Amino acid sequence: MSMRVYIPRDAAAVAVGADEIAVAFEAVAAKRGIALEIVRTGSRGMCWLEPMVEVATTNGRVAFGPATVEDAASLFDAMMADGPHPLRLGIADELPWLKRQTRLTFKNCGVIDPRSIDDYKAHDGYKGLLRALSLGTDGILDDVTKSGLRGRGGAGFPTGIKWKTVAQTSADQKYIVCNADEGDSGTFADRMIMEGDPFVVIEGMTIAGVAVGATRGYIYIRSEYPHAIVAMNAAIKAARRAGFLGKSVGGSAHAFDMEVRVGAGAYVCGEETSLLESLEGRRGLVRAKPPLPAHQGLFGKPTVINNVLSFAAIPFILDGGAKAYSEFGVGRSRGTMPLQIAGNVKHGGLFEVAFGLTLGEIVDDIAGGTFTGRPVRAVQVGGPLGAYFPRALFDTPFDYEAFAARDGLIGHAGIVVFDDSVDMSKQARFAMEFCAIESCGKCTPCRIGSTRGVETIDKIRKGEQVAANIAVVEDLCNTMKFGSLCALGGFTPYPVMSALKHFPEDFGAPSRLQAAE
Amino acid sequence: MTKLIIDGKEIEVPAEYTLIQACEAAGAEIPRFCYHERLSIAGNCRMCLVEVKGSPKPIASCAWGVRDCRPGPNGEPPEINTRTPMVKKAREGVMEFLLINHPLDCPICDQGGECDLQDQAMGYGVDTSRFAENKRAVEDKYIGALVKTSMNRCIQCTRCVRFTTEVCGVPEMGATGRGEDMEITTYLESALTSELQGNLVDICPVGALTSKPYAFAARPWELGKTQSIDVMDGVGSAIRVDTRGREVMRILPRINEAVNEEWISDKTRHIVDGLRTQRLDRPYIRENGKLRAASWPEAFAAINAKAGRLDGKRIGAIAGDLASVEDMYALKELLAKFGSHNLAVEGGAAFDPALGRASYIFNPTIAGIDQADAFLIIGSNPRKEAAVLNARIRKRWRTGQMKVGVIGEKAELTYGYEYLGAGTDTLSDLVAGKQSFADVLKNAKHPIVLVGAAATSRHDGAAVLAQAAKLAAGIGAIKDGWNGFGVLQTAASRVGALDIGFVPGGKGLTAEQMGTFGTIDVLFSLGADDSKIADGTFVVYIGTHGDKGAHRADVILPGAAYTEKSGIYVNTEGRVQMANRAGFPPGDAREDWAIVRALSDALGKTLPFDSLSALRQQLFKAYPHLMRLDQIEAGGGIDALAAKGGKVETAPFKSPVSDYYLTNPIARASAVMAECSRLASGKIMTAAE
Repeated sequence: MSMRVYIPRDAAAVAVGADEIAVAFEAVAAKRGIALEIVRTGSRGMCWLEPMVEVATTNGRVAFGPATVEDAASLFDAMMADGPHPLRLGIADELPWLKRQTRLTFKNCGVIDPRSIDDYKAHDGYKGLLRALSLGTDGILDDVTKSGLRGRGGAGFPTGIKWKTVAQTSADQKYIVCNADEGDSGTFADRMIMEGDPFVVIEGMTIAGVAVGATRGYIYIRSEYPHAIVAMNAAIKAARRAGFLGKSVGGSAHAFDMEVRVGAGAYVCGEETSLLESLEGRRGLVRAKPPLPAHQGLFGKPTVINNVLSFAAIPFILDGGAKAYSEFGVGRSRGTMPLQIAGNVKHGGLFEVAFGLTLGEIVDDIAGGTFTGRPVRAVQVGGPLGAYFPRALFDTPFDYEAFAARDGLIGHAGIVVFDDSVDMSKQARFAMEFCAIESCGKCTPCRIGSTRGVETIDKIRKGEQVAANIAVVEDLCNTMKFGSLCALGGFTPYPVMSALKHFPEDFGAPSRLQAAE
Repeated sequence: MTKLIIDGKEIEVPAEYTLIQACEAAGAEIPRFCYHERLSIAGNCRMCLVEVKGSPKPIASCAWGVRDCRPGPNGEPPEINTRTPMVKKAREGVMEFLLINHPLDCPICDQGGECDLQDQAMGYGVDTSRFAENKRAVEDKYIGALVKTSMNRCIQCTRCVRFTTEVCGVPEMGATGRGEDMEITTYLESALTSELQGNLVDICPVGALTSKPYAFAARPWELGKTQSIDVMDGVGSAIRVDTRGREVMRILPRINEAVNEEWISDKTRHIVDGLRTQRLDRPYIRENGKLRAASWPEAFAAINAKAGRLDGKRIGAIAGDLASVEDMYALKELLAKFGSHNLAVEGGAAFDPALGRASYIFNPTIAGIDQADAFLIIGSNPRKEAAVLNARIRKRWRTGQMKVGVIGEKAELTYGYEYLGAGTDTLSDLVAGKQSFADVLKNAKHPIVLVGAAATSRHDGAAVLAQAAKLAAGIGAIKDGWNGFGVLQTAASRVGALDIGFVPGGKGLTAEQMGTFGTIDVLFSLGADDSKIADGTFVVYIGTHGDKGAHRADVILPGAAYTEKSGIYVNTEGRVQMANRAGFPPGDAREDWAIVRALSDALGKTLPFDSLSALRQQLFKAYPHLMRLDQIEAGGGIDALAAKGGKVETAPFKSPVSDYYLTNPIARASAVMAECSRLASGKIMTAAE
């Protein structure tokens, strides 16, 4: 008798005991005398069910979760017998959370062994690259442009145009840089894909290298992601051994190799130009643009710098999926977006879906409302610098332009939900405080505005000259928004102003505030 | 050229301009703090915001290129507005932020009256702040003897960081901390090591970096301003001498793109206190081995008693580093009346004006360095001998289009170079094409061969110079429109002296011969402090400071320093420039030419000019090129020099400038220069001192 069990090694699963469960399973198997093969996969993205253990059956993989060490023996027996268990969830692929998704980027995440390039290849891996090699620069750029893919890091700049700019700039050396400094609160898609399917990122970067004529790639991962760093390093080694990185990529004339660089913890290093400064070994300070990185990026050379998710979307697109990709979505937001649902929600996790769902559908339907069961009061979309949306705006479709029209942003598609116990003035203060701590200090508006913003909001929260101080905050936000050098200072006003606009009552009556505190 | 519409006015500007330059060209004034034309663009102060049509946000004009602007939908030229309400509001917002933390200490700030922040606050500031919280407080930093810090005033524009890194080539300044905690400092608060650090004071747009020696000395509006020329080295930097009453308070750079751009060296700027101390303010006569104060007639009588009846052969004259052309001309004429040809300028022994002007000037010109693609330094440390010129070399080197090779001492020059060797052997190898750098020079379009004082101050200086000229000719450095052979003269007087033939004429004695026992009886020393003079020679010292020369003198005639007289100086390029009088010499001291003129009367050999203009008329008649101010009389070829040959010794080149800060009597009298010298030598002062 033998059995194959899938236990995630994703950081979110490990945090709730996946490693211990794997050990417990082995112990049980030894006791029962049954050959057990444990495959450590990525996460399927259902965080409330982690650690979710799957077993291979003739009908497909059956999922159980959330498992604990105490459940190991009973789970093992239920799996062996293919019998009932209180934690049995059913066939994994049939679970409603996964069924409702359109998984293009994350299709292998949680399915394959992230350490095995053979497993990756068995799941359509490197098909995109091989086709890209036969297409050549123009063909690749054409596909990427046609797919309508826009930068998934937040700014939503068309990826095809960016690549084309680099391809058309002549230089003796070009670089591909992958921005994996995922610092936004409430976001984890980059980490998940790096831990669950690192090869898709490597393949995406390799295709970019082939497209623009770059021979060197860097993936800049924040030091807070130790598991992702290990996974990426292992995958790069495997890809090199398999001939997909190195002097002759996939047996072609193209050379491309890459390495992992680890950040030191500054949020601002997620901004592309300060990331480049940091990569070059300098202080993580934002550069003035222009020149664009596409013209003068890393070490002054033309550089494609994209988010992890942008690169991860590429292999599907190049594997003949450009048209299919572009058919998903609405308006100018094409394809799918891996939503990261977090905060006070019943069902948090990763949900990849075509653009166009309304915010209400995402929050009420998919996330299932709040974890506390209290009504949803506000949703912050796009990380700590995204706007707060009240219930009144839940009809906003998830789309770059629709959010921008309502003074919001989808950013990296992190969605953080708050129930009605939230104090929005405190959240506004938090936004300013975040900026004050994370500002690189280079430009005046961000450096000074954030610190003084905290102080002024404190005064409002204390009920001191509320109307006058709100006017100061508004002016201050305007200066930051219009004057800042990069998006850190430029977007900090979004959460502040949206909180002020949609939840004025939290900034108003001093008596209520005092009572609440 | 690209067409833009700026404030409704159509204008054509070069495409490589940034918007701030384009707006300036259109006559729109753009406030700025971090932007500086000669530094890289940081784009961090956010004061230069303008509105670009089509952009939802105002744009920092310093960082936005003209070629980055997109035309309108129907191909209209990009439209930029600098005076719209949006622009005004954005700038006011930034100004409000800057003033939140900036202390309101303008009344006690040395920058007051010439402060960019103060000026801009008049335009964009308000009278009261809406932020009443405590201001950010930052401890002051020690960054050396010349620049005082007051870091509460710092607005983090990072001009200083960029200046030290880019122009000075000493990356010793930087920022620590993030966000509001960001502070500017030097590494471990050590003193800066640049010879150009004084410029930080001009670079800083606020009062964070001010002049330490000038602290609390005067207000800018109290000062008389005189445009003049520096004489501390052979570069001839353009300066402005600021005086209050008769006292020189400070020296600032003026812009001269052809010479010093807008930098001056620390010696140029900070010898000011040396102009006040150790001054000779009355004549002295040596009696019984001791100097005693005397009147002018007494002094003249003493000279007359010694020299009046002497034969010209027994009389000589040596001019020092700071002598002006007029002074030397007057002295030369006086010696001519004696029939003496014993004339020499300090450090000029290697040069022979008969070989043509090109044999002793920096032919490629300082601005020409910007075109050079290969640069050979023979026996020179330009960083010490001409700090501002060295910055020019560094500037060109940074573009990556010029390779530098050095023969001589291995020194930190602030740019990378290929070290070829220590002395004449290497030079001979190079002439013979045995060195790989010879190919670099040969293949260069605009090569420069710089010969410095370490080569020309040697006994065999003339032969080394000839060999260098041979090399320059051999590699094709002299061609149509380009003469790449350049001598870096270390003294302000030297080219002028060579131009007017202040050199041993005929069988005249050299400076070295004049210094030998028994060759002459009377020596006129025009500020020649560094010459060795034999015992028994009667020395008439005309100079400004109680320095080495005065100590050896038998009669001292107090002269005027360069800020106290109008005088022509010819810089190392051969550029004729005029220094102007900013103040008066102290006490009984007089302008040197007038002293010589009065002395000539007392000696019964009256010179035929009664005024400076009469002197100049004669001078210009004899040497017309000296009349053409700010111009360079082309030097011609160097074939004669190259053909001269001569025997060279094998000793390695050694710079005669042992201490950059103490090269002349004024600098040696300056306490500030002494402190700089001490810092540079690395000596640590103990608590007791």
